[in-house]
Amino acid sequence: MHARRFAVCLGSVAVLVAAGGAQAAWRDGGEAYEKVCRYCHEANVGPVLKGRALPAEYIQRVVRMGNRAMPAFRRSEIDDATLADVARRISTSAALARE
Amino acid sequence: MSSKNKALPKGVSAGDFDQALREIRAIVGDEHVQIEDEQLAPYNKIMMPVPDAQHAPSAAVTPDGVEQIQRIMKVANKYRVPVYPISTGKNLGYGSAAPVQRGQIVMDLRRMNRILEVDADLCTALVEPGVTYQQLYDYLQEHKLPLWFSCPAPSAIAGPVGNMVDRGVGYTPYGEHFMFSCGMEVVLADGQVLRTGMGAMENSNTWQVFKWGYGPTLDGMFTQSNYGVVTKMGMWLMPAPPDFRPFCIQYPNETDITKIVEALRPLRIAMVIPNAVVIAHTLWEAPCTPVKRADYFTGPGAIPDEAVKKIQADHNIGAWNVYAGLYGTKETNDANWKIIEAVAAGTGGKIITQEQSKGSQALQYRFDLMKGKPNLGEFGLYNWRGGGGSIWFAPVSQAKGSETLKQMKMAKDILGKYGFDYVGEFIVGWRDMHHVIDLLYDRSDETQTKNAYACYDELLHTFAKEGYGMYRANTAFAEKVAATYGPVKRDVEKRLKKALDPNNIIAPGRCGISL
Ligand SMILES: Cc1cc2nc3c(=O)[nH]c(=O)nc-3n(C[C@H](O)[C@H](O)[C@H](O)COP(=O)(O)OP(=O)(O)OC[C@H]3O[C@@H](n4cnc5c(N)ncnc54)[C@H](O)[C@@H]3O)c2cc1C
Repeated sequence: MHARRFAVCLGSVAVLVAAGGAQAAWRDGGEAYEKVCRYCHEANVGPVLKGRALPAEYIQRVVRMGNRAMPAFRRSEIDDATLADVARRISTSAALARE
Repeated sequence: MSSKNKALPKGVSAGDFDQALREIRAIVGDEHVQIEDEQLAPYNKIMMPVPDAQHAPSAAVTPDGVEQIQRIMKVANKYRVPVYPISTGKNLGYGSAAPVQRGQIVMDLRRMNRILEVDADLCTALVEPGVTYQQLYDYLQEHKLPLWFSCPAPSAIAGPVGNMVDRGVGYTPYGEHFMFSCGMEVVLADGQVLRTGMGAMENSNTWQVFKWGYGPTLDGMFTQSNYGVVTKMGMWLMPAPPDFRPFCIQYPNETDITKIVEALRPLRIAMVIPNAVVIAHTLWEAPCTPVKRADYFTGPGAIPDEAVKKIQADHNIGAWNVYAGLYGTKETNDANWKIIEAVAAGTGGKIITQEQSKGSQALQYRFDLMKGKPNLGEFGLYNWRGGGGSIWFAPVSQAKGSETLKQMKMAKDILGKYGFDYVGEFIVGWRDMHHVIDLLYDRSDETQTKNAYACYDELLHTFAKEGYGMYRANTAFAEKVAATYGPVKRDVEKRLKKALDPNNIIAPGRCGISL
């Protein structure tokens, strides 16, 4: 009975998915921010970055060098162009809305 | 570009090194070889209390594809240049992306980030080393596949291959990650490509479903070792249960750990609780809540017990905070929930359900991890002392109450001697516990850094004297930790190294293995 419940839950999509071996890349800096930076910098873990007009060069430097507990990120993780886009977006963004 | 001022690998001339790099460039392309200081900065170690120079890379190469790796192996052998493979390179607190020894070329596999296959019927995946947990999570969401995986706390940036080869742990019923891997592809030092288990047969379709194959099972050899470069890994995924009920049980006293473990072990072994139970100390919870250390203690040395008690009272944090979940149908979970309630009542614990957890940062990230939802909530730990220094001290313990209390007291005494706080948790594997302690210090403070090194050293040797070994260790202590496991094991490891990698080119020194 329980086994059947589990099976039903998967049944509708039970197909082999071959991802086709595509190499993943960031769509743009916005996606990288959403999928990485935000987990700390909008979660009360790292400092809030948006709305502070932080210089883009400074942001890029900290990402590449790391700073205290902030790990450094390699070019293989985020290419220079995407990082520049992340930095530009943060630098020019409005402050986070407070709840 | 000449390598004059670079961190050359031991015993390699500048001329040979430059020639090797030229040949590697020809294989991967110029843009995928990095040698300038600025480019190499993110490959430097962070967190470990030893000089950066000790783990400085000479270069980094980012190949894409098995064939490129095979060719790099040939060059490395020719010039005896050691390479240090990493996958997602976020082994923070165990060595980050830096090589185990100065001068090794980091072979960064992050670009190889293809999700090669997900089989929704068999609940398996085949992934490359550069795939992150976040990427796999997004993939499953996008394709509306109700499949879960288990991930470690830094899940948004780390990945299944790197975590598994270092034998990391997570928090769902599939939390012992190596146990739930199935099949590897490995490039050996001589350039041969080995597929383990059923993958050795060319036309097999059972690589991701049956681990053992025929003859000796080799997979374990490629974890916590340096016998090959893992280029693909199969992993099992868990069907999302129709009903998931995470919970926390809080206990008021440090000594309660004895009865907690005694009460929970039978439930874990019998799989009433199917996931890795975590028993987290106040000082693990506090920074993730977040509570500021400076609001409670500014003096020198470790935070006193009275201050810890005050934090517990002010912020509704237990001395111990037990995290676990029920994974099943509503009917099975209703039945098992009664058992959990009875255990909590019988041991003096206070249950916090998902509903009641709303608004608590510390509970939320744990509950998410128990269903394999990536986040970085645990980085809150680094706000406790500040300064970003961290080494994980992680001895294995039996899942017995008396043992856990003994280990906790031993650790707390030694940490206190060096002025560090006990920030620890026990992760119940099945019959074992990984006792994970975050030795937090300010890495910009020279005295604290020195003390952190000495403290880890004393912890390691005191625990070894009592028969307690590490489940995993940072690269600065690889040699010392390996030594605690005795000479015969090390001799066998060395003989294997000689047979598989006679020129000692793959990560020499990793886990203490070298020629
Ligand atoms: C706040 C915090 C919480 C953490 N919590 C956890 C946790 O819950 N569980 C846990 O397990 N860890 C935890 N960690 C430690 C660590 O960050 C994770 O284990 C992480 O998954 C390891 O990094 P990675 O996955 O990027 O692996 P990598 O860094 O890529 O790999 C780790 C090591 O394995 C070897 N290796 C990697 N890839 C290959 C390959 N393809 N071939 C041969 N050898 C290879 C290398 O020696 C490498 O240094 C935590 C760290 C932090 C900072």
